Amino acid sequence: MNWSAKLRPAGPPLSPGPASKAKPSPTPAAAAAAPASASANVRSSNGLKEFLWLLSDAEHPRILDLGNVSQATLNFFINKGFRISTEDILRSWKEFIASEEDSLRRMPPGQESAKVSQASLAEKFLKDGVNYPAENFNGVLVWDLLDYLDSELMPRLMDRLYDILRPGGAVLAMFHSRTPDRYHRYRVHDDHSIEMIPAPTIAVHARSFQNREILDLFGKFRSSKAFVARDQLREALFLK
Amino acid sequence: MWRKPEEAKPSSKPAEKREPASSAVSTSADSTSAVHALVSNFASTPQPSAPENSPEKDEPSVAAESSPSHISSGLKIRGEITGTSDLLIDGDIQGKIQMRGCKLTVGPTGRVKSDIEAREIHILGRVDGNLKAAESVAIGNSGRLEGSVVTRRISIDDGARLRGKVEMIRVESSAPAKSEDSPKHVAAASAATAPADSNSSLAVPSVAAAAAAAASSGGPSPADKEKA
Repeated sequence: MNWSAKLRPAGPPLSPGPASKAKPSPTPAAAAAAPASASANVRSSNGLKEFLWLLSDAEHPRILDLGNVSQATLNFFINKGFRISTEDILRSWKEFIASEEDSLRRMPPGQESAKVSQASLAEKFLKDGVNYPAENFNGVLVWDLLDYLDSELMPRLMDRLYDILRPGGAVLAMFHSRTPDRYHRYRVHDDHSIEMIPAPTIAVHARSFQNREILDLFGKFRSSKAFVARDQLREALFLK
Repeated sequence: MWRKPEEAKPSSKPAEKREPASSAVSTSADSTSAVHALVSNFASTPQPSAPENSPEKDEPSVAAESSPSHISSGLKIRGEITGTSDLLIDGDIQGKIQMRGCKLTVGPTGRVKSDIEAREIHILGRVDGNLKAAESVAIGNSGRLEGSVVTRRISIDDGARLRGKVEMIRVESSAPAKSEDSPKHVAAASAATAPADSNSSLAVPSVAAAAAAAASSGGPSPADKEKA
């Protein structure tokens, strides 16, 4: 699937999932979430809109959310007929590093091997982390995690994401153009907006990608599309 | 000046009488005191000699038929657990848990490495395994789950950890027991999911408030659990 092959029907409403077509009226849960639209943290997301549109043809699409688990996000996708898996990869990585450091500290002097490198740690982490069958998902929500991940882990994670995505599957990622004021968690607010929730920092902002670096990072993917918001948060979609 | 309320005086005999009604003795740690308080509420069986205007009499006797059992911290159990009584786990369990029609709570100090099947499942500790709940699954802010979830409703507090797949049981009739027994009713779409707010409270808010931080470190991969 690519953007040229799939022409968007005329008219503004998107049809993001099979279940949503059968349920035009909002569920009670969605209605309860509606007052939150006044929140200043809600921002329009063309990336999400496009992501949903790309997956709208699949029957019960499977997606993987790599951010913090959020009930609103779970409800949103489940109500649309998606099958969702979650894995808070940034927190898992931080815990993994902490436990590795702890085990190194407990080693007798002289035995803490010089073999330990960031690359070997990344390999070890991915033996268990993001470990799913190949071509298992129609979409992956990466949010802005790539800005925070270790430079050795990042390319390996991209390879893994490529493997677990089905052909035509999409990745939605976000990139800050400058160091953000603080760390945020993301959750889906509705079909075309997301909510950025300030959260305790669990990792420092490691880098601000240049556009070329982003394209290189997703080099295996065959198609891409990017949106730049007024707050300079870039949303990018990549198709396998 | 603060005055001590009369109800709090230790002279209230009905409260003392209630304690032996609990099916398990709880030598509680501080962090789990709220959990035990909750359990003792559920465990309270109406005393025949209780005065008519006693406040306990008006409470629904949830546990009149099946008082919750308690596996306290420090206990380790390896093996299958089945039963028809509500269960609170503060200890360490390795083995399948089947409590159909019952409520199972994994307390803040509880650790379970197995699949769980129950009517309601509340997680405040750590669970490595797949969950199947006919009614609901709630993960408190100190809760951590590595495994898939199949249920009708799910509630996840901020700070909770979930690593795995979530599937909702489609509710086509008002008989939830049927949907539990027939796997064909398991589907992704559901009209009866949990409230949309990510900060939605658990059914046991006092427990969630008292929850300690969840333990860390890795577990089996979600892929393995999906296969299982």
